[in-house]
Amino acid sequence: MRAVIVDDSRAMRRIVGRILGDAGYEISEAGDGLEALAVLEGLESPPELACVDWNMPVMDGLTFITEVRKRPEWRSITLMMVTTESEQDRIVRALAAGAHEYLIKPFTGEAMLEKLDLLGLLPTSTGV
Amino acid sequence: MTSASAPDEALVLAAIEQVWGSMLYASAEPWPADRPAEFESGLQAQIELRGEWNGRLVLTCDSEVATQIAGAMLGVGPDEGLEQPDVHDAVGEVLNVVGGSVKGALPGTSALGLPGVSEVTAVPSRGESFVVSWGDAPVYVQIVPDAA
Repeated sequence: MRAVIVDDSRAMRRIVGRILGDAGYEISEAGDGLEALAVLEGLESPPELACVDWNMPVMDGLTFITEVRKRPEWRSITLMMVTTESEQDRIVRALAAGAHEYLIKPFTGEAMLEKLDLLGLLPTSTGV
Repeated sequence: MTSASAPDEALVLAAIEQVWGSMLYASAEPWPADRPAEFESGLQAQIELRGEWNGRLVLTCDSEVATQIAGAMLGVGPDEGLEQPDVHDAVGEVLNVVGGSVKGALPGTSALGLPGVSEVTAVPSRGESFVVSWGDAPVYVQIVPDAA
């Protein structure tokens, strides 16, 4: 399985990348939504998963999700918002825009893997 | 408005304790008021909050502490070497997550800015900040309302 991690923080991309890498994912990274759209366009086929921060420069995560959902060829991508935005109205907005899951920072690796397990997106058994 | 719904020290400390515990695998304790907090040079991270309360959160720590925080966050040992951009980014992200927790606890709708990190040679005075521990070292935290 493949995942794109979209976060302006290199540290957060590294943390999420380690969690997903240990679970068996091949990882691509982008520092903002616009860069992530370019990454998706450069892939031969869409990844199974995109983990998307909300607050980023250039293009934020909500706009990125909206753009992805406009493209039928990317319909199969599962979109997980991974963000500090914890208010209920933000969660509702993200889900309405097309996010499938929502993970609030700070989070643990176990919490992320549990979300992926619920989505049927754990490529390897991790003991969760 | 900058005072009616201002985040207080207890709220910010609770957010720091949560982030220290879940992201850095460390505990945050209030720094003893009578204990000196030595500092030569370090990093200062800032993030803006906009909403019913307008202002910024500021976190200042020694360079070595910043490197330790980044190492704990990234699972990198002291001998593995972290480049300065990685340290700046990690400290900024720590404050970003603290800011997100604080924002979520404030009344009304607020917006969080993007974190900025710079090098500093002085820390805020104890009257302008509260201090939490990173291991045996101090980390200075300020809640700074916009000027009226």
